[in-house]
Amino acid sequence: MADIAAPRRAASLAEVTPSLKKRRAAEARFKAYGIAAISVALFFLVALLSTVFYNGASAFQQTSIRLTVDLKQDVIDPQGRNTADAVMTGNVFRWGGLVDEALLSQLGIDPNDELLAADAQKLISGGARIYLRDYVAENLDQIGTKQEIWFLADGVVDAFMKGSISEETEESRRPIKDRQIAMLRQLEEAGALEKKFNTGLFTFGASSRAETAGVGAAMVGSMYMMLVVLALALPIGVAASIYLEEFAPKNRWTDLIEVNINNLAAVPSIVFGILGLAVFINFFGLPRSAALVGGLVLTLMTLPTIIIATRASLKAVPPSIREAALGVGASKMQAVFHHVLPLAMPGILTGTIIGLAQALGETAPLLMIGMVAFIADIPSGPTDPATALPVQIFMWANMAERAFVERTSAAIIVLLGFLLIMNVTAILLRKRFERRW
Amino acid sequence: MKDGDGALMGDTKVSATNVNVYYGEAHAIKDVSVEIGDKAVTAFIGPSGCGKSTFLRCINRMNDTIDICRVTGSILLEGEDINAKSVDPVQLRARVGMVFQKPNPFPKSIYDNVAYGPKIHGMATNKPDLDAIVESCLRKAALWDEVKDRLDKPGTGLSGGQQQRLCIARAIATSPEVLLMDEPCSALDPIATARVEELIDELRDSFAIVIVTHSMQQAARVSQKTAFFHLGVMVEYDDTDKIFTNPSDKRTQDYITGRFG
Ligand SMILES: Nc1ncnc2c1ncn2[C@@H]1O[C@H](COP(=O)(O)OP(=O)(O)OP(=O)(O)O)[C@@H](O)[C@H]1O
Ligand SMILES: [Mg+2]
Repeated sequence: MADIAAPRRAASLAEVTPSLKKRRAAEARFKAYGIAAISVALFFLVALLSTVFYNGASAFQQTSIRLTVDLKQDVIDPQGRNTADAVMTGNVFRWGGLVDEALLSQLGIDPNDELLAADAQKLISGGARIYLRDYVAENLDQIGTKQEIWFLADGVVDAFMKGSISEETEESRRPIKDRQIAMLRQLEEAGALEKKFNTGLFTFGASSRAETAGVGAAMVGSMYMMLVVLALALPIGVAASIYLEEFAPKNRWTDLIEVNINNLAAVPSIVFGILGLAVFINFFGLPRSAALVGGLVLTLMTLPTIIIATRASLKAVPPSIREAALGVGASKMQAVFHHVLPLAMPGILTGTIIGLAQALGETAPLLMIGMVAFIADIPSGPTDPATALPVQIFMWANMAERAFVERTSAAIIVLLGFLLIMNVTAILLRKRFERRW
Repeated sequence: MKDGDGALMGDTKVSATNVNVYYGEAHAIKDVSVEIGDKAVTAFIGPSGCGKSTFLRCINRMNDTIDICRVTGSILLEGEDINAKSVDPVQLRARVGMVFQKPNPFPKSIYDNVAYGPKIHGMATNKPDLDAIVESCLRKAALWDEVKDRLDKPGTGLSGGQQQRLCIARAIATSPEVLLMDEPCSALDPIATARVEELIDELRDSFAIVIVTHSMQQAARVSQKTAFFHLGVMVEYDDTDKIFTNPSDKRTQDYITGRFG
């Protein structure tokens, strides 16, 4: 052993040799790079989240006006049948008349002063008459009485109340007139003007009127698509991975399949949209704009992610577990399903949820299959025309009105909220199923 | 039994003739023929990498699970060829149990570890029967007293030696006829080793046991027959006493006296 060169030693442990100095400097540099990288990433994250929240927070409140409406029997239902059917059919404009009447009497405006009356009418959302109709249809016993009802204010009023239209601006250059502002002050003093939590944001579909536009329809569309993706991609992906990982012989064909699956994960998503258009819509004749087709396309996109995650977690199960099971006389299938799969479960679930989260945020392929439509009604099934959250964001982002700008950010917040929930679920599931071996 | 007289032992349980094993191109076992007696302990000794584990794994066809592994030659279990097309390896492994070199309990409860084999083979239809099997196997493996209060705790939470005894309990729970043990004591302290050796001695009454060991003393203590492997060849196979006192091959002599390996 004498021929092994003895390391050159410092006289004392505390002595700082040049090589030690260099090593410490390198370490310090590396740490500094790391901290700098993380700081940059954090800065952008904070900047992104704060702009979104700054712009979007106000959309969770919406200005409403309280009116005392005289639900006149002879206007609503002259025949006195008082059924939901009678209420829902007939001239829609009768409802507008009731709302106007209530508004004008609340403000003390003479209905014959047409110019003033017209200005007053603009304070209330154009959707108010539909709202009143639906309200009466659900409260048939109130016909013939006077009721206090909160109506949505017009989008411009809402923007003014939220301070995005300034009173200082010259009257001719802002969409709200001085007299209208005076009316609002009057309503406010009477306690008939309030900002309330915007439930409509979560229940309405698309609308050209900002105050009645919401992500409700888009949320339901996204939910249907996620269900389709979960129902198809999870079983297909897990079955494919189990076969490839545990049963398939390792040869050139399985290698080829593996390479292709990995490549599939990198295919741009819009290509899947074109594929979906060609196969599901043109060839199989499935309905356009339907959540079912969107779900199928997203399934194709999500499959590689799930397969790769599942295979990785199957690989991570130590072979000794398989040997142990085979050793006591379990069949291969029993070994996989009783022992390997439960151990791989946390990884599979995490991969699935990450795949779902990707699919939830995907826009491009949905545009290709026509899910960019104006969907006002909440779809009642996966074959109904539907839209999705990110597509809704995309459509709203093209609108210039201030009210839509805030809704765009609000929809982003909703989408981020869902992604957060999914990621937390993934973490909880992993914690719950995690086991030592 | 330890009278060194092979003829007094039980009948031949496993008989292997001209077994060759290839890992791809590598020839790991070369023309090994051996007769393993029933109700006796047979020890395989030899330097590391000589093919003891490989040969052991031929007996319950565990090598089937390795893609590149190819086995030729005939291995008969009570006269039946285990490599025949009609033989289901799963059926075979229920009759030929195995304890692995490294303890590998399932990451399930202690109870489930032992109960798993009997359950999948339908050996117990109700809970009391299963409970009885679990208790008796854990007792045989000298583990019952240590774990009887925590049967529902994970088997992976036991110490290494306890895990190995749990694996032994799991292996005997399916009542195999042949028990293959690949260095069962390599992770155990001397006390646990002594327990396992006692256990092997007891189990000998009911099973044919094949044990791979690196400890010459252990082979001498527990086995009636010993086979010495070297570089994939079975150099010598004889009564344990003969191998350790008067080996006929020079290489065996060198190995047991510690000159190589
Ligand atoms: N899965 C495998 N693939 C390829 N070669 C293998 C494999 N398993 C074992 N071998 C080779 O076969 C030969 C015998 O290995 P084996 O594991 O049987 O040795 P061993 O006698 O059990 O050694 P040890 O005492 O160290 O456990 C070795 O040369 C080894 O490299
Ligand atoms: Mg070995």
